[in-house]
Amino acid sequence: MKTALLGALLWLVVAPILGGLLAGADRILSARLQGRVGPPLLQPFYDVLKLWDKRGGVVNRFQNFYMLAFFAFVLVSGALFFAGGDLLLVIFALTVAGVMLALGAWSTNSPYSHVGAERELLQMMAYEPMFLLMAVGMYLVGRSFHVGVLARAEVPLVLALPGVFLGFLFVLTIKLRKSPFDLSASHHAHQEIVRGITTEYSGRGLALFEVAHWYENVLLLGFVWLFFSFNPALGIVAALVVYFLEVFVDNAYARLTWRTTVRATWAAAALLGVSNLILFQYFAR
Amino acid sequence: MSRRTIIPFGPQHPVLPEPIHLDLVMEDEKVVEAIPSIGFIHRGLEKMAEKKDFQEMAYIAERICGICSFIHSMGYCQAIEAVLRLEIPRRAEFLRVIWGEMSRIHSHLLWLGLTADAFGFESLFMHTWRLREKLLDLIEETSGGRVIFGVCKVGGVRRDVDAEALDRLLAALADLEADCREIAAVFARDASVQRRLSGIGVLPKEEALRLGAVGPTLRGSGVPSDSRRLGYAAYDALDWAPVTEEAGDCRARCLVRMREIAQSFDLIRQAVAKIPEGPVSAKVVGAPRGEYFARLEQPRGEVVYYVKGNGTKHLERFRVRTPTFANLPPLLKILQGCELPDVPIIVLTIDPCISCAER
Amino acid sequence: MMIETQPLEPLDRAALPARVAALAKEGWRLVQICCSCRDAYEVTYSFDREGRFLNLRIGFSKEDPALPSITESYFGAFAYENEMQDLFGLRLDGLKLNFHGNFYRLAKKNPFLDPPAAGSPGASPAASPSAPSAEGAPRAAPDPRPT
Repeated sequence: MKTALLGALLWLVVAPILGGLLAGADRILSARLQGRVGPPLLQPFYDVLKLWDKRGGVVNRFQNFYMLAFFAFVLVSGALFFAGGDLLLVIFALTVAGVMLALGAWSTNSPYSHVGAERELLQMMAYEPMFLLMAVGMYLVGRSFHVGVLARAEVPLVLALPGVFLGFLFVLTIKLRKSPFDLSASHHAHQEIVRGITTEYSGRGLALFEVAHWYENVLLLGFVWLFFSFNPALGIVAALVVYFLEVFVDNAYARLTWRTTVRATWAAAALLGVSNLILFQYFAR
Repeated sequence: MSRRTIIPFGPQHPVLPEPIHLDLVMEDEKVVEAIPSIGFIHRGLEKMAEKKDFQEMAYIAERICGICSFIHSMGYCQAIEAVLRLEIPRRAEFLRVIWGEMSRIHSHLLWLGLTADAFGFESLFMHTWRLREKLLDLIEETSGGRVIFGVCKVGGVRRDVDAEALDRLLAALADLEADCREIAAVFARDASVQRRLSGIGVLPKEEALRLGAVGPTLRGSGVPSDSRRLGYAAYDALDWAPVTEEAGDCRARCLVRMREIAQSFDLIRQAVAKIPEGPVSAKVVGAPRGEYFARLEQPRGEVVYYVKGNGTKHLERFRVRTPTFANLPPLLKILQGCELPDVPIIVLTIDPCISCAER
Repeated sequence: MMIETQPLEPLDRAALPARVAALAKEGWRLVQICCSCRDAYEVTYSFDREGRFLNLRIGFSKEDPALPSITESYFGAFAYENEMQDLFGLRLDGLKLNFHGNFYRLAKKNPFLDPPAAGSPGASPAASPSAPSAEGAPRAAPDPRPT
């Protein structure tokens, strides 16, 4: 119980710092890949502080409420994860967070936001199957849905579930909002829907989105870590490697359309995820 | 769901910072119709010619566009020279070709970068523009300007480029050409790029002709129409043929431009090899009387310069039909039925220069 | 030096749509439409076919600023025709995509219609010996905006 509380508290305090630093590293690395110098490592923090001081223009009363709900659900989801809670609950809390974000965008009257929200939901449809397959796979291997139990699993999850792991990496690109799957809101507004889902946010609402996104990123890397939990140090290295791989992919691809995204991720889920589970069941018995 | 919504696109859109506004009538993410409005910054430069000295106007014509500036001044000068029956030195014509082709490469590189940005390929965008920067340096070295060259005048060009500088130019262009070939491969073969370009925004050949498309938009649909074939300036002395692609989609238009970059390198090489010695400008006597339509090939397509002089130093009528203006109707056609994410790419593949259309 | 031969075919206003339709059938590409107006309107339609250039020219008086639209044959002409409508106050009959004077956002209505006022900077008296005499007379301005 105590470790659970400690885990949740650590998450609340450390995750945004870590997430912000990762975002800063991302920007520097992206810049270097593009042959630029890039901003300072702490730039994301400066950006959020600046946003926080800006006057926030809201379209309606609910908009920032939904953003707050998104933020809260991301926090809850992560806290559950790092407290060693139920993996399924973590995934569904994250889904609810995503729905809140989409609702926030729907609540405005901007067509860009509407298209962005629609795409956000389509993206969720694209990555959810793989997320659930991951939970099922982990259950089959670790005989539990509890992150706390899974973290102490004797079998290295990644070795038992290589296909699931690869499939998860595939959909991770969506969740991290990276090319080729940065449909609903790309990292910058050079997109036909002008960052879609956050088009109508400004000031503190947008700052909240940024911070929530840092939290989300750390949580997602937590999933990666879980695959390597038999060796915690290796897990951290793996999580960082995965993150930088995603940055690399981001810079090597054009943005695809939602049709391709759904098709590609479902194919990945079916080929990598399902076949992995079938094979595991077959050989484990 | 078949509820129709209208999505505004521009005039201040991050993907296309050009003063054009499109009302996209959408059904979900499908564009049913696109209604354009332009004219946000109409400058009335045509009218200005009635108050300016016809020789000064060459520099104003150059400022019609901030990208294909040189060919604008070249077009104006050619129109005036034709009306004046003024024979300009051959060396000036060759220099105009060299600068014209450099401005074509620079414009195409700029366009390729913007297109990469539109489909979310940031590193390709940055790389393309880095190459363009090198070319701008070369332009600066030979002409003194980077974007507005300011070297074209009625009767020839304002400065000569000596043989040594031309050799240096050739050496630098050879390096640049190799770099361009590298990015050409990405545009032509990278899988995710193909997904965003192939089969998108198809403009059939007959439609392209009927709607008055020009330049790479027309050649991408398989029509070998290129105003340079008229043989103005020194193009009659060079060996080349228009680049065409058959597919008529965004990829075809992109490939046309990629191959035109290669062709421009070749044309510059040929021009440097064949350039004769001599003066670079002729004396202008008298004032234009009569009318002429000068047609030139700009990076974006055929530009038409119409001048009508009445024997005074002020023109009676000056008209420019910029390629973007002619490419607007085909654009509206190919936008119909496309998907929202393809809109920026389709709009970009006609290489719109709205500021240029709003002369 | 290259000077293109540019045949100019004078044409009656009423004969325009039929002539243009014939050109369209023959596969000519509409290059541009240029309107100018000093003493009278003068509209030039340019066409191209495989490098060959052809102009049709229509002249008509300022009292009757109307033209039949050719958007039936060349839809792309809507841009030129709206431009003429906005800048020169012409009325285009049968224009398929009519912006009703809102194609350009202009500070002044039909700004290209008036010749430069005498005495304006640049327009020295010596420069414009043949200034039209009817310039100062109030122009009969029919409403150029059809609904």
